Amino acid sequence: MSALVAGMDIGSTTAKCVLLEGKEIVGKSLSPVGVDIVKDAEVALELALRDARRERSEAAFIAGTGYGRYKVYFGQLTVTEISCHARGAHFLFPGTRLVLDIGGQDTKAIRVGSSGEVIDFAMNDKCAAGTGRFLEVCANALGFDIGEIGPLSLQARHPLKVTSTCTVFAESEVTSFVSRGKEPKDILAGLHASIVSRSLSLMQRVGIEPEVTFTGGVSRNEGMVLALRRRLGAPVNVSPLSQFMGALGAALAGQARCEGAAA
Amino acid sequence: MTGAAGAAPPREGDFLDSGRELQRRLVEEYYRGLAEAGGPQRPVAYMLVGGNLTEIVRSFGYEVVFPEIVALNCAIKHRSLENILHAEAMGYGLDVCGYVKNDLGLQDLGGSTPFGRIPRPDLLVCSFSGCYVYVKWWEALAESYGAPMFTYDVPYLREEVPYKEDIQYMVAQLWEFVHQLEKRTGRAFDMEELKRVLRETRRAEEGWARYLRAGRLRPSPIEAYFEAIFYMFPINVLRGTAQAADFYDVVNAEVERRVREGNLPLPEEKVRVLVEGVPPYTNYRTFWDFFRKWGAVSVVATYPKVGGLFDRGFLHDPARPFESIAEYSLGAYVNQSWTLRRKLIQEYLREYSVDAVVIHGIKSCRSFTAGQGDLRDWLIHDQGVPTLYIESDHQDPRYFAPAQIKNRMDAFFESLDQRRTTKAPATEVAA
Ligand code: SF4
Repeated sequence: MSALVAGMDIGSTTAKCVLLEGKEIVGKSLSPVGVDIVKDAEVALELALRDARRERSEAAFIAGTGYGRYKVYFGQLTVTEISCHARGAHFLFPGTRLVLDIGGQDTKAIRVGSSGEVIDFAMNDKCAAGTGRFLEVCANALGFDIGEIGPLSLQARHPLKVTSTCTVFAESEVTSFVSRGKEPKDILAGLHASIVSRSLSLMQRVGIEPEVTFTGGVSRNEGMVLALRRRLGAPVNVSPLSQFMGALGAALAGQARCEGAAA
Repeated sequence: MTGAAGAAPPREGDFLDSGRELQRRLVEEYYRGLAEAGGPQRPVAYMLVGGNLTEIVRSFGYEVVFPEIVALNCAIKHRSLENILHAEAMGYGLDVCGYVKNDLGLQDLGGSTPFGRIPRPDLLVCSFSGCYVYVKWWEALAESYGAPMFTYDVPYLREEVPYKEDIQYMVAQLWEFVHQLEKRTGRAFDMEELKRVLRETRRAEEGWARYLRAGRLRPSPIEAYFEAIFYMFPINVLRGTAQAADFYDVVNAEVERRVREGNLPLPEEKVRVLVEGVPPYTNYRTFWDFFRKWGAVSVVATYPKVGGLFDRGFLHDPARPFESIAEYSLGAYVNQSWTLRRKLIQEYLREYSVDAVVIHGIKSCRSFTAGQGDLRDWLIHDQGVPTLYIESDHQDPRYFAPAQIKNRMDAFFESLDQRRTTKAPATEVAA
C-alpha cells in the first residue's frame, strides 16, 4: 500500500494542504494565513487530515512549499513553489509545457519538460503588480467582493483600457473611470486584460508552448481564464484544484523522496 | 562597474589560507598608506578601474585611489546606504549608479571610511571606457574639489582586433597625458621607470591569469567569483607594484596545495557555474550562501575581468609601453561589444565545462548590465545552457530582497537537480 504523504503550500494569504496516497488525493484543506504562520500550517494539516478521516500519525512524509515553507518545521522536505507548480500541473495535465501561476502576491511563468521538470521560469518583480492582490485592491475600489468580479467582467460590452499594472496607480485609474461614469463590468474587463498582458510578457520570456495550464488562486476567476484564452488564441487547462497545485506538487515531491528518487 | 572585496573579514567556510591572509594585510596597508598621501610629495590620482592608466601615474610617483573600490569596500561593510542617502539628499536621483552616489555621498561627508580617511584628489584621470557615467561622475568630483581632470577617451571595441587608427588616437592621448603630468609634477617623464613598472604589472597579470585558469580543473580548486573578487584587489589596486606580483605567487602556491590536499571550495562540486555581472556587495555573504547551499561553485566569471582580460592572453608589454596600454584600455570587458562579450562567454562555457549560468543584474547600472536580458535568452535558446537572471544592486541594500532572490535561486538549482535525476535534456526551449 502507498504511504500517505502531505504536501503543504504556505503562501502569503492562504495555507493549502493536500494528502496524497498513491495517485489519489485523499484529503485537502485551505485556510487563511495570519501572523502566526507556524500555527496556521499546523491547522492546515489538521484540517486536511480531518477531511481524509486520518490521524496525524498516519502521515508518513510531509513536504512544504510556498514562502512560508521553512515554517513547516514538522516537515521533512522543502521545495520551491516553482517546481511544485510544475509537478502538480504535470500530474493533472501531463501534456503541460507552460504553467502560468497567479497567486496573491506573485506571478510566475514556468516552462515544463515532458517529465514535469522545470526548464525555465520567470517571475514578476518584487511588487504586487499584476497579481491577485492587484485584482483584490481594484475589486475593493469598485465595491465588489473578489469572487464577484470574474463573472461580472464577462458581461462587459465596451471593455476599457487600463494602462497601469501598478496596484496603487491602477486603483486611482479605476476611481477616475468610476467618476467618469464608466460601467464597472467594462472597467473590470480592462483590469483582467491588463493582468493578462503583463502575464503574457512573462510567458513570452520563457517561451509559449501548448499545453498551457493556469494555476493559483486567480485561475479560479472565470474572467481571467477567458481573457487568457482569448489572448493566447488557444485552450488553457484549468483544474478545480488549481489553488492546490503547489501543495499537490509538494506532496508529489514528498512521494518521490519517499520512493527514493530525488525530489 | 568594478572592484575587489578587500576589507571583509573571513568567516567559517572561507579559505583561511595564506593568500587570503596576505590579501587582508595588503588591503590594510594600502588604506593606512592613503592616510598620509596627498599634496606635492605624494600626490593622489583618482582613477577608474576599467582601462586605467595606473602604470603611467605610478611612474610619476602618484598614489592611486579607485573610488569604485572604496565604494564597494564600504558596501561590503554595510556602510554604503548612509552615503547613498546623503547623495540623494544632495539631489542625485534614485536611478543614478550606486557607485556614484556611494562615492559622492562619502566625499561630501568628509571621506571617512571604516578603513581610514580617503585623501582628496590632486588629479582626476577618467578612462572613458564603456560607461558614459564615468565622465559625469568625474566632472562632479572635479567641480567639488577644484581638481584638474584628464579624460582619456577610449573608443568602443567592436571587433576583436582593434583598429590601427584607434590605437594611434589613444597613443596620442597618452603622450598628451604624459606632458601634462610633467608640467604638474615638475618631473621629467622617465621611460625606463615606466617599463620597470610595466614589468611588475606583467608579472602580476601572469600570476592572476594562472590563478583564474585553475577553474578549468574538475573539481575546481578556486571559487572564480566570490573568492576571486577578494583576490582582485592586488591586480586592480596595486598593479605595477612588486607587492601585487608577489601576491599571486603566494596564491598560486596555495592553489597547488589545495589540489594536492583536496582542500576544495566545497566538499562536493555539484554544479559548475559561470557568473556574469557585478555582485550585490551589500549582501555578499548571503548571496554566496545561496550558491553554496546547492553545491554550486563558480568556476569562471566575467566580472573579475573588468580590470583586464589577462586570462585571455593579453598582457602589458614593457617593450611596447604606450601601444600595449592603449590595447589594454580598448579591451576592457565593459568596453567590448556584446558580440565580443558573448564570444568570450561561449568560450568560457566550453573551456570551463560550465553546467549553468547565473547573471546578476544591477538596477542602477545601465552600462555593464544593459543587454544581460538578451544574454539570458541567447544562453538558453541558442546555447542550451540553463541560465538564471536575477537583479538587485551592487551598492544599494534597499534593492536586495533576500527572500525573493533566494526563492529564484533555490528554484533554479532545484530544477537543475531535478533535470539531472530525470535525465531530461539540457533545455527544451524552442529556438
Ligand atoms: S553605471 Fe554600471 S558600468 Fe557605470 S560605473 Fe556604475 S556600475 Fe559601473
